[in-house]
Amino acid sequence: MNRVLKLLVLLLSILFLVTGLRWLVAPAGVAPQFGLTLDHGVGLSSQVGDMSAFFLLLGICMLTALVSGRRSWYYPPIILLSLTAVGRILAWLLHDAALAVDLIAPEIIVSVILLVASRRLPERD
Amino acid sequence: MNIRAISGLLLAGALAAGAAVAEAPDPVDVQSVAVTETAPSRRPNIVLILADDLGYTDLASYGSEINTPTLSALAQSGVSFTNYHTAPNCAPARAMLLTGVDAHLAGVPNIPEMLAPEQRRHAHYQGVLGNNVVTVATLLEDTGYHTYMAGKWHLGSTPEKLPSQRGFQRTVALADSGADNWEQRPYIPLYDKANWYADGEEYTLPDDFYSSRFLVDKTIEFIDSNLGDEQPFFAYLPFQAVHIPVQAPQAFIDPYMGVYDGGWDVLRENRLSRAVELGIVPEGAATVRMSTTADWQALDEERRRYEAKRMAVYAGMVEAMDFHIGRLVDYLKARGEYGNTLFIFTSDNGAEASGPADPDEFAERRMSTSLGYTTDYETLGLKGSYSTISPSFASAAASPLAYYKFYAGEGGMRVPLIVAGETLPQKGVLSRAFSFVTDITPTILSFAGVRPPDERYGGRPVEPMIGRSLAPVLLTDAERVYGPEDTVGYELAGHAALFKGDYKIVYNRSPLGDDRWQLFNIVEDPGESRDLASNRPGRFQQMLSAYERYTRDNMVLPIPPGYDHRKQLVLNTLYAGVREPFLVLILLVLLLLPFYVANRMKKASIHRTIR
Repeated sequence: MNRVLKLLVLLLSILFLVTGLRWLVAPAGVAPQFGLTLDHGVGLSSQVGDMSAFFLLLGICMLTALVSGRRSWYYPPIILLSLTAVGRILAWLLHDAALAVDLIAPEIIVSVILLVASRRLPERD
Repeated sequence: MNIRAISGLLLAGALAAGAAVAEAPDPVDVQSVAVTETAPSRRPNIVLILADDLGYTDLASYGSEINTPTLSALAQSGVSFTNYHTAPNCAPARAMLLTGVDAHLAGVPNIPEMLAPEQRRHAHYQGVLGNNVVTVATLLEDTGYHTYMAGKWHLGSTPEKLPSQRGFQRTVALADSGADNWEQRPYIPLYDKANWYADGEEYTLPDDFYSSRFLVDKTIEFIDSNLGDEQPFFAYLPFQAVHIPVQAPQAFIDPYMGVYDGGWDVLRENRLSRAVELGIVPEGAATVRMSTTADWQALDEERRRYEAKRMAVYAGMVEAMDFHIGRLVDYLKARGEYGNTLFIFTSDNGAEASGPADPDEFAERRMSTSLGYTTDYETLGLKGSYSTISPSFASAAASPLAYYKFYAGEGGMRVPLIVAGETLPQKGVLSRAFSFVTDITPTILSFAGVRPPDERYGGRPVEPMIGRSLAPVLLTDAERVYGPEDTVGYELAGHAALFKGDYKIVYNRSPLGDDRWQLFNIVEDPGESRDLASNRPGRFQQMLSAYERYTRDNMVLPIPPGYDHRKQLVLNTLYAGVREPFLVLILLVLLLLPFYVANRMKKASIHRTIR
């Protein structure tokens, strides 16, 4: 079970890293997946900088958690993904944004997986 | 003829007379661009219609069997040029059309999809319209015209390069080299999607889209939105027809079923005969049979049936374009604007021969099926179907000329040009005056009463226009606007030409061309059948020297060794497809490597501790 969990976390971390790198290298291809149209000038700078940092941080923290065996490394991605999901729901409630169920659901599911991993996988010294 | 029409005629005539003898004008800036003192409302509306890849004899008034009554009617109300030339490739032709500047200096020496990496290192070899040129739309907008565009742009897809930033007030524009005619769908794997924009923003096409109908609908919508305010309009209508994929409504295909059963040789001969009857080409004009023209008789019956259907779809697409131009003309008549509107119709280049000679060949089937298209006989040309014409029928579309799109032969460069309007004194006239695509913008400006900028515009340096107004030919008895010693040069991907008087030197690269310069008298021999290089060595050398000067003056780069435009297109498509995934993979490996090493070290450390 733990081996499967580790493999799942590894695959998810690679997925996040690839998404982060795509934001750096080819944002035009990945932006539509998030309902975004690429801006220009400072707007484009923020889109590329913020989005790539978000996904790279997720991937790096998860990999560090796997390699170091320290569960505290799971917490930043759990917090990030949970806040993102909450933010999306608030955007729907307060700002007439679309209810992006297709994005919220994976964010919650991955948060839960990471929470389980942080509980189940043994802590190393 | 109404008062507005008469005053517009007089104004254009006066300007034309001036333009015909003009010395280089003094430098002017945007504030001082000469708008005539005549009230702006008296200036003519201008409709510039551009077909895509239309062959020299694809219109009825140029010798075609295709029914194009609207364009025939326009030809009867104006002048048809039989010796008009353009660049034999899309974007360079459009850059010259809209700026009057040579394509190399305008930043578009080739389409970006075909530029080699070595060429892209140079600022003027990006394949997008440079900021050192001013479009006719900008010049007209700055002098009080409403400016509209609906159709294919292909001069840059970044926000600052879209037509909404190049002088067009209202736009719906396709940024790519082409796209599906029935839905928002790319036509080659180079594009992820068909990139349409409206007024600078990404645009989703309506469900009932058919390109020619939609583009005319949008043009009418734009014109109608400001019609009451007395300002003239400039409407640029670059159709997708008849670029690949060749697609047409069934009702337009049906009349041509069976028409092409005789094959391409018969069609090429029929069009030549008709063109001679009409006076488009001289009697006895000789032709050259292209090496890419297949033997019709050698095809089996099934294949002939399929080839004839391919051409029927093509003809249907041409007629559909004509039909929708007719709707625009009817609209302008109904709104009382027809009498004060100048129409210019032409094509960006000659007939397209990129369709496969054998539609069953693996690469062709792979390409269309990879994009989700069908190529079956029954639905050919309809929604979801991918059709083209073969080089054999393309050669017939260019009849009686040699070569076709991409090549510097007359079949690639010589296309129809019709300038029409109630205000023109010449009706149903054929002009044999040599003319070039860079002449269109100066012609429009002269009719609009706008003086071309010289070396600066809007506070920045710009390339001066090299084209000449055709107004003297349109309005007076002048037979030509270029003198016998004037030269016009051209180069694209190593295919090159230079025109001087009735003569042309031309260089077509292999494999289709023979990699050598040839000299032709294109007035007597439009089919380029008799090379005069050895008979007229003095003229030949003079023209070669003039071409050398042209390359220096226009910063023409030598082509990279081994360059072939079709291979480069494939390479660029592959490059665009694999470059980003490859880069992401490399960066991912670099990111994962430290974690892998750390993990290995940790495991090794644990093993050592256990032991």
